[in-house]
Amino acid sequence: MTLIAAPPSVTALPTDVRLRDAALACIGRFGLAKTTVDDIAREAGCSRATLYRYFDGKPAIVRAMLVAERDRIIDALVDAGRAAPTFADAVVEVVVAGARELRAHEALQFLLAHEPEAVLGHLAFGPGDRLLTAVGDAIAPAFDRWLSPAAATRAGDWLARLVRSYVLMPHPPVDFTDPIAARAFLRQLVLPGLSSLGLAESREPS
Amino acid sequence: MAGDDARPRVLRGAYECIAREGMAKTTVDDVAAASGVSRASIYRLFPGGKDELLRETVGWEMDRFFLHLGEELGDAADFPEFLERALPLARRELLEHAVLQKVLETEPDRLNALITVQQHRVIGAIAAYFLPLLERDRDAGLVAADVDLAPVAEYVARLCLSLIASPGRHDLGDPAEVRRLVRGELLGGVLVV
Repeated sequence: MTLIAAPPSVTALPTDVRLRDAALACIGRFGLAKTTVDDIAREAGCSRATLYRYFDGKPAIVRAMLVAERDRIIDALVDAGRAAPTFADAVVEVVVAGARELRAHEALQFLLAHEPEAVLGHLAFGPGDRLLTAVGDAIAPAFDRWLSPAAATRAGDWLARLVRSYVLMPHPPVDFTDPIAARAFLRQLVLPGLSSLGLAESREPS
Repeated sequence: MAGDDARPRVLRGAYECIAREGMAKTTVDDVAAASGVSRASIYRLFPGGKDELLRETVGWEMDRFFLHLGEELGDAADFPEFLERALPLARRELLEHAVLQKVLETEPDRLNALITVQQHRVIGAIAAYFLPLLERDRDAGLVAADVDLAPVAEYVARLCLSLIASPGRHDLGDPAEVRRLVRGELLGGVLVV
């Protein structure tokens, strides 16, 4: 918790964005349960009254923050895939970028370590179905230079499953944040399967 | 004194208590009463107390689940066929598992932790089950000879658990779709074409 005013580059952002960022920072520091509306307002450098002009309360800010974080990470993954020269490189880039985003995500890591019930309900069983389907759909454009939409979505689904299992859960046998380790693993175990499914429908890079 | 069979008796007793009362309401005293093993012996077997007991009970039931699966599918000709039959069967049994579904409905937080952040325990057990099946296929020339099979078994175990618990867009009741998953995403990297 700091009372020092945020730097000008930050205060120049729209107030709702600053509040979302503040919620993210507070959750990374104190967790979800202990973060209060006052903490968020203070972190954003605005008053409680200003906060309530933009958001109904803590759950509304947290929801807005989650949507923004999801979109930011998905965009980063799609960009990483699209910038790659080959399909194999795109798969490696998307997995490494996803692993790095999630591993370095202070709020997510804090919650996994200290308030797992806040996160795990969204990852497992039925909610897991919805999450994997949504993420698979969202990152499919990372592969649309090489694959048909159906094959790209299938690849996105599989990589979302891989990252959920190998990055979010403890004791992974391979570290996907390491590009060399990730490439060796993906090339051996994952790419042949994805390529065999997609090749019939694959397209030359445009 | 707790005999050699005390551990399984305690786990079976704990499972019965969870089936009846749920995870939150089950106490070590309840488990002592249900299993006929003293409270002191239970703490000797499970020094972490109730939390460890619950965790081990979920693991024990999962082991039973996979043992049963193995009995049902022991006659599969090779590992791909085993998986093609195991995925729909495991999915169906998970949906029909009364205790699991009850706990999922009433106490999802406890169970979610056990099958997500603590999943390495069950993954290790599944991978250990898969490894000899992969080795048999390698000896039969179905799986590439130069592949280290332990990480393969681990990978297949993780992704099978993922598909069984959250199939998402994949319809595990559709044999053609399951065949595609098994021979593509799951085993495409190791099967000799």
